[in-house]
Amino acid sequence: MASVDISGVKKAYGAVAVMHGVDIPIRDGEFVILVGPSGCGKSTLLRMVAGLETVTGGEIAIDGRRVNDLEPKDRDIAMVFQNYALYPQMTVAQNMGFALELAGRSKAEIKAEVEKAAEILSLTALLDRKPAQLSGGQRQRVAMGRAIVRHPKVFLFDEPLSNLDAKLRVKMRAEIKALHQRLKSTIIYVTHDQIEAMTMADKIVVMKDGRVEQIGTPLELYDNPANLFVATFMGSPAMNILPAIVQDATVLVAGVATLPIVAEAAPGTKIAYGIRPDEIAIDPASPVKAEVIVVEPTGSETHVTARLAEHEITLVSKARLTLAPGDAIGLSFSPDKHQLFDAATGNRLAAAG
Amino acid sequence: MPQASQSARPERQGYVLLAPALIVYLLFAVYPMIDVVRMSFSSWNGLSPGANFVGLANYRAIFTQDPVFWGALRNTIWWTALAVTLPNLVSFGLALALNQNIPGKSGLRVVFYLPVIIASIAVATIWKWMYDPFFGLFNNLLMQFGLDGWILDWLGDRKVALWSVFVAHLWQSVGFSMVLFLAGLQGVSATLVEAARIDGAGRWGVFRYVTLPALKPTLMVVFVLSLINSLKAFDIVYGMTGGGPAQSTQMLAMWAYTQSMQLGVFGRGAAVSVVLLLITLVIVLPYIRWMFRREEMSR
Repeated sequence: MASVDISGVKKAYGAVAVMHGVDIPIRDGEFVILVGPSGCGKSTLLRMVAGLETVTGGEIAIDGRRVNDLEPKDRDIAMVFQNYALYPQMTVAQNMGFALELAGRSKAEIKAEVEKAAEILSLTALLDRKPAQLSGGQRQRVAMGRAIVRHPKVFLFDEPLSNLDAKLRVKMRAEIKALHQRLKSTIIYVTHDQIEAMTMADKIVVMKDGRVEQIGTPLELYDNPANLFVATFMGSPAMNILPAIVQDATVLVAGVATLPIVAEAAPGTKIAYGIRPDEIAIDPASPVKAEVIVVEPTGSETHVTARLAEHEITLVSKARLTLAPGDAIGLSFSPDKHQLFDAATGNRLAAAG
Repeated sequence: MPQASQSARPERQGYVLLAPALIVYLLFAVYPMIDVVRMSFSSWNGLSPGANFVGLANYRAIFTQDPVFWGALRNTIWWTALAVTLPNLVSFGLALALNQNIPGKSGLRVVFYLPVIIASIAVATIWKWMYDPFFGLFNNLLMQFGLDGWILDWLGDRKVALWSVFVAHLWQSVGFSMVLFLAGLQGVSATLVEAARIDGAGRWGVFRYVTLPALKPTLMVVFVLSLINSLKAFDIVYGMTGGGPAQSTQMLAMWAYTQSMQLGVFGRGAAVSVVLLLITLVIVLPYIRWMFRREEMSR
């Protein structure tokens, strides 16, 4: 267990820079999730921490020790890969004990560690099987077991749940979280799935195009996104964004609302008005009218996509709705629950007064 | 009913498509194989209208009276033992090297593969020149470096002729296995290599625990293919020495040919062929069984 300090880390392939100075402080025992769209550099960053990619600039320190130039095996880390990366010719027990065997530990010691990890992950009955005889979820657990037996300072997870079906993914999510609470180990976890990030992380790092967009707890990011990208990336369905403009002392959102003015915004400034789908309600009395396009019942709630003027917006209702495409509905927007962003820079604007 | 005829149609189509190949194989591979067994029990000079049944006389002759058979068998065994190891080790090394990110590797792959596409008889001719005791490349090089004492009549000396021919064979065959190994190396999972590195494996560990296990099927295929190829070694020896000097490079396959086609004793030639066939079957049958079992397991 250890802290990890990523400071000013850059990565370039030849002349092509893909990471432009990333700073992420990670405390001992923290569960940190790197999240972002494909190509944002999250996996590259994880692989740099692992030592599988070279660091072009900046510094990565584990437990206060600079590791930039250390081999992966000398960094005291363990990694769980998306495709599990189990040795096909070895049994589950051999797979899990392999690192200890290479480290020259005694047979009895290895056996004890493997059995302990197998116990935690309920793999005891499978120890003599080969990976080919296991299901995807079982393989994933073996990959985790292989990491656990080493008692590394840091666990690295590279999209570990992407190859599992939806039901198993939810189950494994809970298992990994429980494992973290039990082992109290430092975890850096990469995913493109913001729900995984929201449900598991102590701290989320949102990345885009090789830069950190925002770092915070799941609810901080959800409630106070620093910019449009984070606002629309976190939360599902995504936040609705409508164009607005500053007029006199108010912000005018076309056909929706007139809001109090925003600090330091000159009249005529273009603004993005954001509101989460669950802050919009269907209200027959409302003067704001929209046309239903798609209705998606999920069982516990209903997602409705509607056309408001020339914009599409999504709302989530706890009620069972009997709506059909083409229906006209009235919409009411929760006051004070919206967020305003500078349309040019994408940065969030603090509401004045 | 129409459904039944529809489901039968693809099957019938399959047989129709197979038929030409099947006929050719039965006629030119299976029938001769059976006929050579029949011939090995008879006496025929290749010209007379009928052959006489002579029982085991031909086998008795080649085992007890033939002055060349045992030498040819010994040469074939030596050749095979060397041919399944040495060229394949070289191929494996080349494949490992060319699988790295080194500049010009595609060009080098072509260079090493080139000898494979040259006809054996052309390879034989090239090397015969190079081995020429007076004008050949090797002796001239040795002379230039002042190593006159090492000069040999490479193909004319009974003690070295077989190995000289083998070197040419090595040069010719290395590219083939190399390509198979390269294909196998492509199948080695990059993530598995990374996992092993994180687990603490060095270069040797990665090779031992990731690369080698992944290459096991390729190793098996390369081994069996070179085994079969060396048991039937014929063309390059025929082209370089014709079995000489003094039968010192004689091989079973070539001896069967020489007996039948040049000496006109088809029965004995057939008997030598049958011996070679049996040796090949004993070695290859387990491989075919292994392949079938693997196929079943992967289903």
